[in-house]
Amino acid sequence: MRRSTQLVGASQFIMPHIANDLYQSDEARWSALMSSAQSGNESDYRLLLSELSAVIIRYLHSRIGEHDFIEDCVQESLIALHKARHTYDPARRFRPWMFAIVKHKAIDMLRHDRGRKDLVETGQTPLDTVAEPLDDDASGQLMGGLAPDDRQAITLTKIIGLSNAEAAGQLSISESAMKVRVHRAIHRLKRLMEADVA
Amino acid sequence: MKTTDELISQLASELEPVKPVKDTSARSLVWLGLSTVFALLAIHWYGPIRPGALQQLLTHPRFMLEILFGGATIAVLALAGFRSAIPAASAPRLAFVGLVMLALWLASYLVGIVSPALEPSMLGKREHCVFETFLYGLPPAVLGIVVCLRLYPLNPGVMALRIGLAAGLIPALYMQIACMYDPVHALTLHMLPGILLGLGCAGLVWLLQRRQRN
Repeated sequence: MRRSTQLVGASQFIMPHIANDLYQSDEARWSALMSSAQSGNESDYRLLLSELSAVIIRYLHSRIGEHDFIEDCVQESLIALHKARHTYDPARRFRPWMFAIVKHKAIDMLRHDRGRKDLVETGQTPLDTVAEPLDDDASGQLMGGLAPDDRQAITLTKIIGLSNAEAAGQLSISESAMKVRVHRAIHRLKRLMEADVA
Repeated sequence: MKTTDELISQLASELEPVKPVKDTSARSLVWLGLSTVFALLAIHWYGPIRPGALQQLLTHPRFMLEILFGGATIAVLALAGFRSAIPAASAPRLAFVGLVMLALWLASYLVGIVSPALEPSMLGKREHCVFETFLYGLPPAVLGIVVCLRLYPLNPGVMALRIGLAAGLIPALYMQIACMYDPVHALTLHMLPGILLGLGCAGLVWLLQRRQRN
């Protein structure tokens, strides 16, 4: 069952109608599984959450990049989906409901949590990390779509985990300017994420 | 820290049946109906409405239009508020339309300062209309917000603003019939407390959410 979701990304360049069929079959299956979970079916729910966790990881990796906090973000998203499961109406589409929650959680975590990339292990400095070459696969499509200043601000404070003062010191700007930059960067990432079709 | 597989097992083992929320439109209409009945009963219980006000509705089409437009604005805000409690059902366009309608409604009173829909008069003046508007909007606002918080609003502050505005504007609207008619009086002592109630609800929910997070 999970295979079909993994195939969608690759096959859409080859046979759009097959990708569309797989997309529709995932949509229908998830809707049915959630409907069953709403009536208390534990095994269907377990299956649904397992499939969704793989989908969410892939989505966040492709949009934000492969960062340590993605695992936390996936878990927070699953907890949120669990708490919100009564708000899913089986008559409506599943994906928009799910991704509205996932996107909200991702932005919420970026806004309120501080990352914790272990630079000692890699032997890098924070500025090395922000200066890494950025292709869409490594940094995420949406992070790649941010202006360099915004991307630096998010990477230093939210992914590496520096305080605003430390990040400001790295970039030789004032702490208040750093706060503004981080706030603006997250706002822009939120807008990009809202506009993104999952 | 749990692994994702452990978390999934835990969530699955804690699964309890839930009743899916089907129709937010019906829910918002029920809330709107109850809130309107409550505001009307409270206003009539506190004191008589302006003599001849209901006849004025029939004889002065512009006054009738003001009231109908106000009612439509409240309905749109309430619907937008309840929809914002369901992920992906939120309708930013609907909320935008509601806010534009509110601006137009307020503008109609500003125009009324120069060219009023009714001849301004002190007839039917209620001594405490400003407090009445606020107080009669408060219980419906609390009810609506509590109902919506039990759903899953992604932005509780925005939800509370929409519900609070709708709740506060219901008594504000009926005060145009129950209290004296004067556009300046309507703007400052009827509409303003209704709008402040909405802003207050949004601020309170935002603070509570922030406190909960910390």
